[in-house]
Amino acid sequence: MASHSESIIREPLITGKNITYGQITDDVLRPVENMPGKAWWIGFSVASLGALLWVVSISYTFWFGIGAWGLNKTVGWAWDITGFVWWVGIGHAGTLISAVLLLFRQNWRNSINRSAEAMTIFAVICAATYIGAHMGRPWMAVYSLPLPNQYGSLWVNFNSPLIWDVFAISTYFSVSLVFWYTGLLPDIATIRDRATGLRRRIYSVLSFGWTGSVKTWQRFETVSLILAGVSTPLVLSVHTIVSMDFATSLEPGWHTTIFPPYFVAGAIFSGFAMVQTLLLVTRKVLGLENYITMFHIESMNKIILVTGSVVGVAYITEFFIAYYSGGEYEQYTFLNRFIGPYWWAACMMYGCNVLMTQMMWSKKVRTNIPISWVLSIIVNIGMWFERFVIIVTSLHRDYIPSSWAMFYPTWVDVGVFIGSIGLFFTMFLLFIRVLPSVAMAEVKLILKSASEQAKKKLIDDGHLDPAHVDFYKDNLIKFDSVEHSDYEKV
Amino acid sequence: MDSNKKYWKGLEELNRTPEFVEKNKNEFAEPIPIEEVLSGSGLSAKTPRRDFLKALGFGVGAVTLAACQKVPVHKSIPYLIKPEEVTPGVANYYSSTYEGQAILVKTREGRPIKVEGNPNDIFAKGGLSAQAQASVLDLYDVNRLKDPKINGTDAGWDAVDAFVIKELAAVAASGKGIRLVTSTIHSPSTLAVIADFTAKYPTTKHINYDAVSYTGIIQANQNSFGKAVLPHYNFDKADIIVSFGADFLGTWISGEEFTRQYVSNRNNESLEKKKMSRHIQFESGMSLTGTNADNRFPIKPSEEGSAIISLYNAIAGTTLPGTKKALSKTTDTAITLVAKELLAAKGKALVVAGSNDVATQVLVNAINSLLGSYGTTIDLDNPSKQYAGNDAAFVEFVSELNRGDVGAVFFLNANPAYDYFKAADVTAGLKKVRLSVSFSDHAEETANLVTVIAPNHHYLESWGDANAVEGYYTVVQPTINPVYNTRQAEHSLLVWSDNAVKDYYAYVRNNWDKNLFPKVGLSGQKGWESLLQTGMIKTTPVAAGTYSFTRDLNAVAQTILDHSNSLSGGKFELQVYQSQAIGDGKRANNPWLQELPDPVSKVTWDNFAALSIKDIKDLKLNEGDVIKVTANGYSVEVPVLAQPGQATGTISIAVGYGRVNAGPVGDNVGKNAFPFYSFRNGTFQTTAIAEFKTTGVISPLAQTQTHHSYEGRSVIREASFTEYKKNPAAGSGSEGEHKDYDKTTSLWDSHDRPVYDWVMAIDLNACTGCGACVVACNAENNIPVVGKDEVRRRREMHWIRIDRYYSYNDNGNSEEAVTKELEIDKLDNFDRVSVVHQPMLCQHCDHAPCETVCPVLATVHSSEGLNQMAYNRCVGTRYCANNCPYKVRRFNWFNYWNDSRFDNYLNNEHTQLVLNPDVVTRFRGVMEKCSMCVQRIQAGKLKAKIEKRPLKDGEVKMACQQTCSANAIVFGNRNDPNSEVSKALASERTYYVLEELNVKPGIGYQVKVRNLSELEA
Repeated sequence: MASHSESIIREPLITGKNITYGQITDDVLRPVENMPGKAWWIGFSVASLGALLWVVSISYTFWFGIGAWGLNKTVGWAWDITGFVWWVGIGHAGTLISAVLLLFRQNWRNSINRSAEAMTIFAVICAATYIGAHMGRPWMAVYSLPLPNQYGSLWVNFNSPLIWDVFAISTYFSVSLVFWYTGLLPDIATIRDRATGLRRRIYSVLSFGWTGSVKTWQRFETVSLILAGVSTPLVLSVHTIVSMDFATSLEPGWHTTIFPPYFVAGAIFSGFAMVQTLLLVTRKVLGLENYITMFHIESMNKIILVTGSVVGVAYITEFFIAYYSGGEYEQYTFLNRFIGPYWWAACMMYGCNVLMTQMMWSKKVRTNIPISWVLSIIVNIGMWFERFVIIVTSLHRDYIPSSWAMFYPTWVDVGVFIGSIGLFFTMFLLFIRVLPSVAMAEVKLILKSASEQAKKKLIDDGHLDPAHVDFYKDNLIKFDSVEHSDYEKV
Repeated sequence: MDSNKKYWKGLEELNRTPEFVEKNKNEFAEPIPIEEVLSGSGLSAKTPRRDFLKALGFGVGAVTLAACQKVPVHKSIPYLIKPEEVTPGVANYYSSTYEGQAILVKTREGRPIKVEGNPNDIFAKGGLSAQAQASVLDLYDVNRLKDPKINGTDAGWDAVDAFVIKELAAVAASGKGIRLVTSTIHSPSTLAVIADFTAKYPTTKHINYDAVSYTGIIQANQNSFGKAVLPHYNFDKADIIVSFGADFLGTWISGEEFTRQYVSNRNNESLEKKKMSRHIQFESGMSLTGTNADNRFPIKPSEEGSAIISLYNAIAGTTLPGTKKALSKTTDTAITLVAKELLAAKGKALVVAGSNDVATQVLVNAINSLLGSYGTTIDLDNPSKQYAGNDAAFVEFVSELNRGDVGAVFFLNANPAYDYFKAADVTAGLKKVRLSVSFSDHAEETANLVTVIAPNHHYLESWGDANAVEGYYTVVQPTINPVYNTRQAEHSLLVWSDNAVKDYYAYVRNNWDKNLFPKVGLSGQKGWESLLQTGMIKTTPVAAGTYSFTRDLNAVAQTILDHSNSLSGGKFELQVYQSQAIGDGKRANNPWLQELPDPVSKVTWDNFAALSIKDIKDLKLNEGDVIKVTANGYSVEVPVLAQPGQATGTISIAVGYGRVNAGPVGDNVGKNAFPFYSFRNGTFQTTAIAEFKTTGVISPLAQTQTHHSYEGRSVIREASFTEYKKNPAAGSGSEGEHKDYDKTTSLWDSHDRPVYDWVMAIDLNACTGCGACVVACNAENNIPVVGKDEVRRRREMHWIRIDRYYSYNDNGNSEEAVTKELEIDKLDNFDRVSVVHQPMLCQHCDHAPCETVCPVLATVHSSEGLNQMAYNRCVGTRYCANNCPYKVRRFNWFNYWNDSRFDNYLNNEHTQLVLNPDVVTRFRGVMEKCSMCVQRIQAGKLKAKIEKRPLKDGEVKMACQQTCSANAIVFGNRNDPNSEVSKALASERTYYVLEELNVKPGIGYQVKVRNLSELEA
């Protein structure tokens, strides 16, 4: 595999000098094989307090009823479905990175796919909790499954987008889980090989008896490709179906055909922002600067910029269609986003998602880590507000003006949402302690072809067009993990 | 010593047969086939171990499961001997009377669960008010007194009788007065009891005391025509109705009757004859009647007198001395035009005033006399007896009390410690009385001050009769045994006066035999049985005579002006009024009424200070800001409501709130406005000069509707009468032919409706918005009461609601009504407001958007065109409610019947007895909505089937339809082209709300028509 070298024009995917396979394993497994540091404990305490809040809020809701939330006769969904769509959307980046980028042979995904996939799993878990929690009678949730029963021909309503949701989310979760775990197998085997005692036995079981033989590797590659093929449609289908919860309804502001592509773009948008949020911190705290480089950061920012712009176009299209359709109720709904009582929510949505991300046209912004991190948070805030605006601002003033009402969240609404974030981070923090947060095996694949040291060697060997070399060196300037002094004398 | 005795257990043992010896070797005489059963091994075994484990597992599992199920304990006692007339599951109806109105009481298994109007009732012909509908819940009020009390402690009836008789004797001996204070009594038998009581104790005087009285009208008729009566009005005979602050469709005298009469000149039937009455209202606060007026002019209380004088002048062509123009230009022009219209409709005109001022009513009499109303629209010869209260007599009674001239006082259905404007005088005076007795069934304000409480039966437990209008006698019969240890007040009076007949039932029968049956040629047991069946007798009415007014009006006009001038000094003028739901506050402990939205303001569970929008803007107030209103030396702190149509410079506050001893539901709901009353020229006055200041406190109003304009949407469609006459389809949007939105491709197949297709037609021109249907629906369908906080969170559960929209007409041009919020905000003049009421309930769409989105098929379509809810299947995703364009679906946010935080309704076993057993109660987390009274449809179909006949049109009535005095709601089978509903829907005025969505709603609405003045246009 190391028989060929990647073009010098391409930016390196792994930086640092004297990186060996062993070095990679050591770097990646440092958090797994050592006791956690102070930062982890602080983060974990905060996250688990959040998870505790989630437990309290959900239990309160189950005990007293959905009335614990701020919903009313007009606004039947608010923070619950906002949270659900938000989490499902966030999950999408993981699948896109792991499946679509794999099929397109984008090797830079190798450094980030593991964390992104883990994020998908945890985000879908958070979303799924909302599905259960928002039901009036969650103990009857089994009714939404097409199970044989004794009630004659009583089946589920295949016309209902909520049923499609049940299938979409459960498929999504199971495929993502299998894909993620399959990818983990060689890395778990690596941990097993280095561990002793009980840990060794646990990882041994978890590694499914990975032997590392050529045949194993070959099968592993094949399964990965097949699963990538299976997952790819899911990137599009899951959020399409989620968007149909709205698009197939009669509600002005929901009933619109642009929703599927609009939602999918929004999902990837928010998902990459969340990956960015997580990795910028993980990279620093776990010392993974050599594997998650400025190139990754900038690439993800570019995707955020593109999808953010797609979303922006969708917003404009919605307004245009509302105007062009002549539909009285739809026109009012869109006017109401700006002149109605929830104008501030719309400002958050359009401001955060469209205006702020347009800053990323500037390379300085894209390669600035603090700004990127803040922007990724802003995108997630904006995307939460997008769902809030679609759901609440549409519902609160629809057809019959007598029923127009406001929605005011209760502490339980807030608790469930903040708590779900706590739950997410609790799971994520546990994940980085027990499993490698970077796919070691896959990173090792590209060490000899696309790493800085391999390219340095090429430069040192000569035979390269000096213009290409200069171009390469210019690109390296933005890297914070490269020692620029090494290149001065060359 | 060894015993040689040998005992044997059977002959076999004694004889020791070989078989016996053989068998006896073994422990068990007959071999147990253990070996055989356990023979073999593995799967070839006769009883494999697996089978054993299976049986064991199943057995243990089944027993465990069975043991987990808590067996419900039904504490029902079956009939030992089944009463002949009671069939479990089949309702019985008994005729009775609610406040003079003939009703039918529906009972199931011996408990009354609903009251409905008697179709032969002369007032509303089957219609019933919200209060009457709610009265059945009072029967199951756990806060009713359970025993009589002497000095606050429970006592037996014997002790009470002995005590009262002893004290009465002492009072009689002392020669001091005995006073019987009651709200108006028109029951012939009760009046006879009182007469008998008076005969026994001659110092007795009966005082009719109505918290909201009509003494002004009665006294004015005495002054004008020598007849101290409350006339019987005929709004159906009036082509032009002018009302000065009389809320005749709501709380004024006989709202249900007047609604029926009024609507008969404005409904579809009348419109098709190209006939529609015209109604002009002058008033300060926006009343229910004002919302229905064709033209409405806000005037201050101080302007009312001048307005009536101006009207008199314009009609009579005279100038009353001392009058000066105190009116705004608009009102003045309006009065001139109205006078012309009234004169043109002479003999078919009616002018009424809500004022309790004698002089004002005398002047109104003079106007009506000039218009020839007596004998046509006003009947003085068959007077109403609904209100006979005499304000002056009560004021005199209070001073007697304080002078110490009263020895004994009895309160029957009167609560002056709450509703008299100087309640402190009553409290103080009662201390000087030797014997004070209350018949109240609650420990209410007055009952807390008396020595003896002799709790009366609820009317559904009582015998009795009523005579609300001359010549109309109705019977009250009990529908249940007394629930608590109460006794009918009449019975108590009979016992205490040592009457020869102490049983009130016998007394009532004697009275009817002697005095009433002869009027209609009935007698004896047969007469009585026929009375119990029909519920009423009607004597032939006297021909209504004409009366002409001849008195000099100069002094009258001067009195009116003096009164007006005394009001106009201050910055604000206060008017107190009765709200539609709570009335005078006697039923304040009824949660159905407290949660019934006010028809105009849509406020529940509170009273408020209604201010004009202009005043609110000028004073920079917000809705819900608590202000302290002071008038006549009394203050209350109430939240502000911005009321369109409220006269600028006026404040309106409802009475009936602020009870302190009504019971847990009614206590401290709102503030008491009765102390704002004053006593002037012999009557209670409801207006005063007021001032107010802000308190800085905010108390959000619990409104069921917070957006009040319909945004120009075709949800509401209106036309003027002129337009209607030109084109009956005017305003309906159909231009003579209904658009078929289904011509374009429809996603859904249409449902088959082989026999019935249940639909409804609602006439917006008939609906007055009173809200009786809401309470009727509550009672019929076991709808939970959620309380003030939950209504604030917009979670009321009502299956039917009345949407009320305001639109503005800045320049008086009907074509350019301003209906959009943004445009309304820019208006300067908020006086020209028109109102429309729209009952909104599940539309039972043929292409129901709720049905397609329910994931579990919990809401589905019936083969009879109904959209049905399967509560047991519902998982509560609320998707259906979101997708309902009409927003009529209601979610059970909490377990309202079993959650201590909702303690105002069903959280006790006793109140749960009011539940309709035909309608299941809903658990938390389940969606519900109007079922089109499917239980009534089913009952009707079953009845027809048993009688082997087809169901007749009109046989099944919805609860909302049944109680509607205006007949605004028609229900029936669309498959039958001759049904009432088919005919109603065929009207050119019919339109469907949001029909452009092609959801195919099953409820057609008929365009609201306004009879705007042609003179004006």
